[in-house]
Amino acid sequence: MLRKRIIFTLIYENGFFNQSRNFRLQKVGNLRWLEKNYKFQDIAFSLDELIVLNASKNDKNIADFARILNKLVDDVFIPIAAGGGIRSLGDAKMLFDNGADKIVLNTILHTNKNLVQQLVSKYGSQSIVASIDYKANDDNISIYIKNGTEELDIGLEQYIKDIEDLKVGEVYLNSIDKDGTGFGYEFGAINKISKSINVPLIIAGGAGNEQHLITGLEDTNISAVATANLFNFIGDGLPNARKKILEKNINVASWN
Amino acid sequence: MKIVIVDYGMGNIKSVTSALKYLRVDDILLSNDIVDLKSADKLILPGVGSFAKAMGNIKKLNLDEVLKTIVLEDKKPILGICLGMQLMATASEEDGFTKGLNFITASINKFNIENLKVPHVGFNQVTFHQNSKLYEGLKDQSDFYFTHSFQMQSKQNINQSTCNYGNDFIVSYEIDNIAGVQFHPELSQTNGLKLLENFIKNF
Repeated sequence: MLRKRIIFTLIYENGFFNQSRNFRLQKVGNLRWLEKNYKFQDIAFSLDELIVLNASKNDKNIADFARILNKLVDDVFIPIAAGGGIRSLGDAKMLFDNGADKIVLNTILHTNKNLVQQLVSKYGSQSIVASIDYKANDDNISIYIKNGTEELDIGLEQYIKDIEDLKVGEVYLNSIDKDGTGFGYEFGAINKISKSINVPLIIAGGAGNEQHLITGLEDTNISAVATANLFNFIGDGLPNARKKILEKNINVASWN
Repeated sequence: MKIVIVDYGMGNIKSVTSALKYLRVDDILLSNDIVDLKSADKLILPGVGSFAKAMGNIKKLNLDEVLKTIVLEDKKPILGICLGMQLMATASEEDGFTKGLNFITASINKFNIENLKVPHVGFNQVTFHQNSKLYEGLKDQSDFYFTHSFQMQSKQNINQSTCNYGNDFIVSYEIDNIAGVQFHPELSQTNGLKLLENFIKNF
């Protein structure tokens, strides 16, 4: 049976990994800090996938980001998706060459569909994750690009159709309002689209404990749950969460 | 142990290389040079992307002829991973119809089931072929990481192992010196490392 996935998302900005809250970043530590407090080579055994996002705002220095990525993923034998600031074929190539198995696209899904199509044709649909940032206000859902700074005048359902037409492989749906709060996922938008979406859906934004992850994993229309919460899952947080999830017989992979 | 990863310009080489290093393979080379390929103890045919484009690259480099000699005549062990596994089949219907290397008799088809989310992404359980050399020491129904939009079918006995997503399809084959896996062992945690170790040891 196809398993559900638990994904950890790391937010990188100018040399540091960050705790994001409603898209405001708080520096937590550099690569050395991360290795000391998270021991990724060990932690990776509690994860199905790792997503690393470059949120550097002014100068999106992909080369520096790629170098960090390269070091981070050594001896980590799970799929790695990386993105943030991809604006050319060369940017994407640099991430693939430095350990990314997939790339995460956001802004160019709206501003440069031609490039998205080129990337899909070169690397295949299964290598492309489409990230959507949104805010939910009652029934009204607004989509944002450029690190959550620019609102689009397009509905969520239509936007999903548009990006499915570009043949992306997966959708990463991230709630800006719930981001980093630890209050649980925002199911308003998720429930609106989860039945009709044709590609695997990853939900993000708000998970603060394993119960939140379980709520997502138990939804048949959701393929994967993500958390970027460095504080809530520090130390043994992730291994313990996975252990509890496995004990509840939730459909996630186990390794010998 | 010298393992040459066949270079035809497509595929994530870093994770395969780093898995082989982890398994203490001392000589790992990425090359499409016939001398290098001939000098290898074993070959790995990686691959991510479209079947037609990959075959185009392979033909441009004359690798189809080179691989035929080395794999079919010299009987050098080869492991195809993901697209690399598909390329050794007869043909694929991706982007119309494209002939493959035809080392094994099998076809590559689209997932064709209504409401099935494609690509097939994530860990899924594999039903092992009996007496498989690839899965030696692993428990039947072990999890491996998949990410693909096309699936292999064959009417022949190619010592296949299978997986179910919408329907049953072939996720690995092993005939003499030729093996292929649809999933990514290099991204499948300890299960995948064990499989790579088995390929190195048993083929």
